[in-house]
Amino acid sequence: MATVDERELQINPIVATSVQHNTQVTSNIRNLTASLFGVAAGTLGLESYPGFIFYLIASFVVSALLFALKAEGQPGKYYYKPLGDMWLGDVFGGLSGFVLTWTLFYGLVRA
Amino acid sequence: MAFFGAVLNTVGALFLTHAVYSAHEHTTAFVSTPLPLDITLELLLGVFILSTGIVVSADKLKPIQYAKWAGQISREGRKPEGKYTREGEEILGEGDPYAFLGLDGGIGGKGEGRRGFWDVKGKRKEYDEWVRGKQ
Repeated sequence: MATVDERELQINPIVATSVQHNTQVTSNIRNLTASLFGVAAGTLGLESYPGFIFYLIASFVVSALLFALKAEGQPGKYYYKPLGDMWLGDVFGGLSGFVLTWTLFYGLVRA
Repeated sequence: MAFFGAVLNTVGALFLTHAVYSAHEHTTAFVSTPLPLDITLELLLGVFILSTGIVVSADKLKPIQYAKWAGQISREGRKPEGKYTREGEEILGEGDPYAFLGLDGGIGGKGEGRRGFWDVKGKRKEYDEWVRGKQ
């Protein structure tokens, strides 16, 4: 017996190339902005937990921008799982880029 | 929209560069004092403008539901992506996936394809009236 999810997908199929494209756009935005936040965190001289909290808050701001400007307020139209793919999508993938520029700019400006 | 994004990116980058430079000058002049508020604000503003610019100038998202995706394509038609091959041919975006079903589709070309809505009951009624008129 097919589950409700499977039946729903048979009636309203998902376009794989669009999903791929959207994931790529989201991941690009996340990586670029993560390095930017690293610059800000390093220049502000944040250390330890405050730095990571700054990253989480700034990522949330970018998610809100994605929601308003890219998804036009209807994330269900562009993301299969809006919570995981848009609000949290690739947040932890950008973390390494964030730490990279964070330490670099802390060293350049503060130390 | 691309122009707007570029403007945001440029302004944001200017603010960010200036703020980082100011922070550097401040820390070399006054070692281990907190950063002045105006530098902090400029830095945050610059980062915000720049990230807005990045989001604005990113590619458009595509609808993932088949019906909406296909509907958008058939409404807007094939659009050039603004890129050209080395031979000078335009690279087109995705086309209408149902074009072969339209009136211009089919084997022979013109008029061979599937028609849209065809009012069977109306045609039958018309035919009945025509037959009654004959008698």
